Amino acid sequence: MNVKYPLHSLQGRLLIASALILPIVLLIAGLALSKAYNYSLENAVKDRLQLQVYLLLGAVELKEDHILFPERLQEPRYEQINSGLYAAIHDQKGELLWRSLSSVLLDDPLVTEVINLGGITTGEPRFEHIPEASLFRFQLRILWETRGKEHSFLFTVMESDELLSRDINAYEQQLIVWLGIIFLVALLAQTLILSWGLTPLRRLARDLKAIESGSAEKLSGNYPDEVEPVTENLNELIESERKQRERYRNTLGDLAHSLKTPLAVMRGAELEEHELHSYQSLVSEQVERMNQIVQYQLSRAVKSQSKPLGKSVAVTPIIERMLSALGKVYRNKGVTSEVNLAEDLLFYGDERDLMEVLGNIMENAFKYGHSHVKVSGSHKNAELILTICDDGPGVTPDMRQVILQRGARLDTSIQGQGIGLSVATDIISSYQGEIEVTDSPIGGTCFVIRFPD
Amino acid sequence: MKLLVVEDDPDLRRQLVTALGSNNYTVEETADGEEALYMGEEYPYDLAIVDLGLPKLSGIEVIKRWRAAGKEFPIIILTARGDWQDKVEGLEAGADDYLVKPFHMEELTARLNALLRRAAGHSKPVLEFGPLKIDTTGRVVYRHNEAVKLTSYEYRTFEYLVLNAGKTISKSELTEHLYHQDFDRDSNVLEVFIRRLRQKLDPDQDLQPITTVRGLGYRFALTADKDSE
Repeated sequence: MNVKYPLHSLQGRLLIASALILPIVLLIAGLALSKAYNYSLENAVKDRLQLQVYLLLGAVELKEDHILFPERLQEPRYEQINSGLYAAIHDQKGELLWRSLSSVLLDDPLVTEVINLGGITTGEPRFEHIPEASLFRFQLRILWETRGKEHSFLFTVMESDELLSRDINAYEQQLIVWLGIIFLVALLAQTLILSWGLTPLRRLARDLKAIESGSAEKLSGNYPDEVEPVTENLNELIESERKQRERYRNTLGDLAHSLKTPLAVMRGAELEEHELHSYQSLVSEQVERMNQIVQYQLSRAVKSQSKPLGKSVAVTPIIERMLSALGKVYRNKGVTSEVNLAEDLLFYGDERDLMEVLGNIMENAFKYGHSHVKVSGSHKNAELILTICDDGPGVTPDMRQVILQRGARLDTSIQGQGIGLSVATDIISSYQGEIEVTDSPIGGTCFVIRFPD
Repeated sequence: MKLLVVEDDPDLRRQLVTALGSNNYTVEETADGEEALYMGEEYPYDLAIVDLGLPKLSGIEVIKRWRAAGKEFPIIILTARGDWQDKVEGLEAGADDYLVKPFHMEELTARLNALLRRAAGHSKPVLEFGPLKIDTTGRVVYRHNEAVKLTSYEYRTFEYLVLNAGKTISKSELTEHLYHQDFDRDSNVLEVFIRRLRQKLDPDQDLQPITTVRGLGYRFALTADKDSE
């Protein structure tokens, strides 16, 4: 059994992926929320400070060149030291004309600093955050005209940002808590969804285990649409594997049974009085018999199940390979071959089976033909038709069925197993095909093979 | 003619070596693919018999590498499974013929004779040179249709010269193709064989089938009768 890593399971993969991606999404969302909140808070501060400037403007009076203040300002925080709200007014040269009582303990430069008024356009408010002083500052430069004379003043209002920082901190803490809760809930939901979604796969694994252990024959029950093609194919595979196993078992049984007879003959011969020569010929006869049995049963057992998953094989290259291989073996005979194949000939089945059929029949043509072999192939009426003709001595009509049977060979002077044609016949009929022996237009025999598509 | 037998089953290998040896072939043997590859590349064989299921390196791979190295000697493959995929793959790899186990020794010798003749450019098993006739299947030499009694090594020497008719064959080439690797190459055994062959095949000295090319070797000087090519 393999060591199981989380990455080996689909659920593990999906969970790890979402556990990695979810925090990133939440982090971005959190940043966006806190940024938006900051922005709206600062805007509120800006509006408030602007209002303060307008209130100050309303409160002061211009007399000659001087600014006059009322005894008490409406806003009590100006009178209270370090209240968090401060104000100052500078003239056009940047000199301080007035500062609120609240600002006396404030760092002088913030208030008394000679401000370069050139940087501030009249009528355009300037709002900024000065983090080192923990202050927001709102400034507005105005032009006051009395008796044809223009006076320029700079109004500055400052407010401590402590309140705002506290607000933001509290907000961020809340945000973190809620995002954390969202993270946990989302992860939990994901886990539940995944385990629900993957249930059919787990059931598939369990069912396969059951088949493995022998307590079930095939995958049964309803599977979702996405999994059903897999289970159907698996069922087909299991079925074809079971049939194959059965065939192997039968073949082994047949083999054992049929091999025991020649073995018994040989063992019996040990006890008989035999001349060396007759003993040799008895052994050789029985060996030949056993060889035929083994060869026949093996080729039947190895032969694949027909059309397991609808695979197709191109016929032309296989015929060409066979011709060049056989041409090599029968080079001494100088056999010429003629090929007449339609385009895109396809055989729906196993390549080995086709090679076995073609090899056995084409070799016969090379072996028994005088000098010429003709191979043609076509597709007609949903059938693949392959015809292999030679110019040999031919087969008499009454022998035509006999040669397709197991172990038959008309000519015993050429060495061979004598089962090639019967193996070919077996394979062809396992594909619901047909084989027929006819007269050859070039003088010998034709084998016509038909495979349904 | 020197053959290489590559077969991992010791019993079958022994039978092959014995049977081929008694058929007047010089036979060397190995049980594994790697050694077979080395031997085939290093020594001049006239034919190799290769089992497809070999340890270390498969028969098909051995054949492919021999052919890639430019070795052109004929090759017969032995296959136990006997399905066409195996046969076609073997032939495509560079083998010239195949035999399915179990086979009769007569079948094997007939096939390898045919391949050796073909490699020498003859298609018929009996070659005729005027009064001399060589039956490469029965491995008998006739003079005026009478069998000439030759020892195994005399026949091998003569056959090699005949199958390379017209070419001058050096003593070392003859030794390499006729004897095992550990044969003492300095001996003058070869000269003795040639002298005896001349006496047996041409007692009247009017045919001169084997000429000595001074310093280079020997040459079979007769040309085959037309109908025996």
